[in-house]
Amino acid sequence: MKQRKVKNAQKFTIGMKKKLVVLFVLVLLAFVGLGVRLILITKNNGEEYQKQVLSQQQYDSTTLPFRRGEILDANNTVLAYSEKVYNVILDAKLLLRNDKYVEPTIKALVKCFGLDAGEIRSYLQDHPGSQYYILAKKLTYDQISEFQGLITIGSDTYDENIQGVWFEAGYIRKYPNNTLACDIIGFTSSDNNGMYGLEEYYNSVLSGTPGREYGYLDDDSQLERTTIPATDGDSIVTTIDGNLQNIVERHLQEFNDTYANNARQGNGANNVGCIMMDVNTGEILAMASYPFFDLNNPRDTSRLIGMPSVDEKGNKVKGESVFDSGVYITQEMIDGFSDEVLYQNYNALWKNYCISDTYEPGSVAKPFTVATALESGSITGDEVYNCKGFLEVGGWEIKCHNTYGDGAVSVERGIEISCNVAMMYVAQATGVNTFTKFQKDFGFGLKTNIDLAGEARTEGLTYSAANMTPTDLATNSFGQGFNVDMIEMITGFCSLINGGYYYEPHIVKKIVSSSGATIKNIEPRILRQTISQSTSDKIVQYCNKVVAGEEGTGKTARPAGYMIGGKTGTAQTLPRGNHQYVVSFMGYAPADDPQIAIYVVVDRPNVTYQADAKYATRIVRAILTEALPYLNFPMTEELSEKEQAELAELREQLVTTYVSENAEEQTEENAEETEEAATESSSEETVEEKDRSSIWESFSKDPATGYLVDPNTGNMVDPDSGAVLGGDDLPDFNEASNTASSEGGN
Amino acid sequence: MEKTRFLKKPKVESYVDYSLIFIILFLLAFGLVMLYSTSSYEANLDYGDSAYYFKHQLVPTLIGLALMIFLSYFPYGLLKKLAFPIYIGAAVLLLLLIPFGREINHAKRWIFIMGISIQPAEIAKFAVIVFTATIIVTLKRKLLDPKGYLTTLGFPALLALMVYGITKNLSSAIIIMGIAVIMLFISTPGYKKYVIAALSVIALATVIVLIVANSANSSGMNYRFKRILVWLDPAAYASEKGFQTIQALYAIGSGGIFGKGLGESMQKMGFIPEAQNDMIFSIICEELGLFGAIAVMLMFMLLIWRLMIIANNAPDMFGALLVIGVMGHIAIQVILNIAVVTNTIPNTGITLPFISYGGSAVIMQLAEIGMALNVAKNIG
Repeated sequence: MKQRKVKNAQKFTIGMKKKLVVLFVLVLLAFVGLGVRLILITKNNGEEYQKQVLSQQQYDSTTLPFRRGEILDANNTVLAYSEKVYNVILDAKLLLRNDKYVEPTIKALVKCFGLDAGEIRSYLQDHPGSQYYILAKKLTYDQISEFQGLITIGSDTYDENIQGVWFEAGYIRKYPNNTLACDIIGFTSSDNNGMYGLEEYYNSVLSGTPGREYGYLDDDSQLERTTIPATDGDSIVTTIDGNLQNIVERHLQEFNDTYANNARQGNGANNVGCIMMDVNTGEILAMASYPFFDLNNPRDTSRLIGMPSVDEKGNKVKGESVFDSGVYITQEMIDGFSDEVLYQNYNALWKNYCISDTYEPGSVAKPFTVATALESGSITGDEVYNCKGFLEVGGWEIKCHNTYGDGAVSVERGIEISCNVAMMYVAQATGVNTFTKFQKDFGFGLKTNIDLAGEARTEGLTYSAANMTPTDLATNSFGQGFNVDMIEMITGFCSLINGGYYYEPHIVKKIVSSSGATIKNIEPRILRQTISQSTSDKIVQYCNKVVAGEEGTGKTARPAGYMIGGKTGTAQTLPRGNHQYVVSFMGYAPADDPQIAIYVVVDRPNVTYQADAKYATRIVRAILTEALPYLNFPMTEELSEKEQAELAELREQLVTTYVSENAEEQTEENAEETEEAATESSSEETVEEKDRSSIWESFSKDPATGYLVDPNTGNMVDPDSGAVLGGDDLPDFNEASNTASSEGGN
Repeated sequence: MEKTRFLKKPKVESYVDYSLIFIILFLLAFGLVMLYSTSSYEANLDYGDSAYYFKHQLVPTLIGLALMIFLSYFPYGLLKKLAFPIYIGAAVLLLLLIPFGREINHAKRWIFIMGISIQPAEIAKFAVIVFTATIIVTLKRKLLDPKGYLTTLGFPALLALMVYGITKNLSSAIIIMGIAVIMLFISTPGYKKYVIAALSVIALATVIVLIVANSANSSGMNYRFKRILVWLDPAAYASEKGFQTIQALYAIGSGGIFGKGLGESMQKMGFIPEAQNDMIFSIICEELGLFGAIAVMLMFMLLIWRLMIIANNAPDMFGALLVIGVMGHIAIQVILNIAVVTNTIPNTGITLPFISYGGSAVIMQLAEIGMALNVAKNIG
């Protein structure tokens, strides 16, 4: 009113009031328009958008990883475990909330993780709204702890300007002993799936259940949030003794170091396998096959070098001539491999030779032949056969390894000197029906069901009574003409020497929950009785002769201070006459009361004359020399001076090089050892030579190789057994019917 | 009229527009409730305190109410004399952004003085209302010359350019110019030139939209032009620029007629970025449905109607223009905000008055209401 009285006071005119009303009407119209728009959105798209909103909520749920169970050895040493790792996640939106966060955060990321600041910056530039970007993967707690301090409220180094970075937990599998027990353990793929060995066989036990954090809608369509924690996987305790396993692997490595690139380029043998087993429970104490691989880095091509390459079916690629043991992988070949071929060969590396490869066992089958005959009453054990160097069966002249004839051979001597002719007589006395029935009892042609992934199926690799010819029976008697794998042989052999109890072989003895409670104990399981106690005693007696007897073929397997028993094997391979052999030794200790069994197979050793079981017996000797004292078996035999020196040297070596792997030193000592073994056996020979009467014993010795030379044929003859080396130009039976054999056994 | 005045005389003629005060208090309280509902989830995630945004809005609201009460007693006639200092003050604050402004999300919009953040653009809006009203009153008949038009629009345009140039805040610049144009529109007779101007602006906008929509290469484009593409087809850009828009549409659509209930929004859980700012209306739609949204719009309509009544009954031209400026400001912001949320126009960052999060905005808006209340007080 004061203003009204002012002279110049302007009035708000009618025209202006009209215009104001017009403006108001315009605003009103705009409001009505927007109201209509709102109604239309709700009416037309309401349901669709509602679904959209609900479906978006599901993106909100996240998976929480579980920890895979551990694999422990018998002494609870960790063989495999899962380590928590962290992915570094960048939430760009959160970081860009305030410009002051950006610089300190990028600086800290660069400092703690060595990331490229430029890359982070350009990512932030391009994706300012992104909330999930993985900056770094699989870092350990140590690697992130510094940064963790920066973002943890309350820690000394906390910096409130570091924002928008968080850690996503996950697990990776670690194998602290790298190559140790690689074939048994197996490894895991990146998505925590077990491949090979225990990891594959026990995958479901080791795996837990992933947890989940999610939001869901209740009956009133209200959002609820729930976390279901992950259940960690169970751990498995194996029967493997890490120390024994280590001893075994060290000697397999030594063998390879000695013979690699010897007669041919490549590893010391196509495969070398070793199984140690508890005779009275079926527990596997150690199992290894060379070549090894690093479980933490299974795709290391350098491990392939020296292996025979394989084709798409896993069969070894044939060499140019039948005398070639295979085509050995070189770096140049790897460079030229396609991914497919590379993986074929990786598969050959990763598989466990001890359970997945079949071969003709050779003379290690002879105790089974004798046990069958004794148990069925076909022979008494007092029989004496005459070996003329061959036996005519079904029109074939099947030769003994000693083609000059062994003369009178008792059953016991038949095992001791590994006489094929005696075995053929024994098998003939047994007959086809009993022989095949007992083969099945011993588990030949059957899976052992050991708890490892990848066991070979051997059904059909043995004969049935219906299709076994007398020739087949004869060759089967000394372990040719049928195929087995290592685990089958040693499991059956354990039943021969433990009183006839056939245990199911197993490698896991306990399943333990993540909190440490025992979930399941796996007890030894007797599947059947194969032979009687008295037969078993006789077999032990015969097998002891193989090592202890004067003419025994396995003398070189005896470790210093102990008496053991066993049987050697030198098996021909197909095609006959290829000069390729699988040599082996299957034994047990102590000799009078077998507790542990050991089986070593050397598949095509890298030497000029392969037909020599000493390549296997020396490995057995080296392993047992260390293993038996470790297992606390008391020494029963007197030590010669040489043996004492050897043991002292070994002890020293254990102290100095048990952990550190001084390869050079080891090979050196290994060389000495083998030399010793060689001189030892030859010196024993000279003493025995007087008593010998066989023709071949008068042959002159070739100074280069240590073998005797047959003056008539020029063939090399083994001075221990009289076996002719590389002279197997013998009849080749019909290969198609899988009966090929001739000379075999050592 | 005479009688009433006579009766009221002992009370010293103090007309108080209670309905306006009620509307404002209702909007403020409703705004705080919605702000808390909308922001509590993200506030808890980001700051560990679900009431973070609520607290930071409550204090400016109280300051604003105090300022409103103060201005309701402050004779508006004096503002005529203060108009130039206010204009200069707003301009200086804008210029201070250049050295002292803190950059957030690639734009300098805030100055921090003793821990308090101030958004000069909001003050500029207030300044434009006062200054334009003063110019129009001062120019009187000269206003109708072309020179008069130029002067009346020139000074606000200068501020608008500064706002756009310094803060890169196109929407605030548009609001400033919009306020000035509305005030000019009311104070000059005739419709022809305004209709022509409006049509030419619409035509220009259409041409720009057509050009942008038909250009094959969108990568090198200014982000404002990109927003036009997003507006035309938000689903095609759902993972980047269109995310906010499409999520807001989901929120509106999923609310239905009565909504999911207060506090039951799902879209606020990280799906609508900055829901407590520009997009708070979409959460209102989701939680309270069409019913709640239209109720809020009605409240704004009532507010604008009350302001119109005050302007119509204002004792003089200056008071009327001040109220018209306030009314124009609120009307423009409400309409543009709801239009953005419903994807009726391309996305620009415009807040909803009295409800959206923003301290400077609520203080200045309440100051404007205080000014209007003082004009109302003098209705005779």
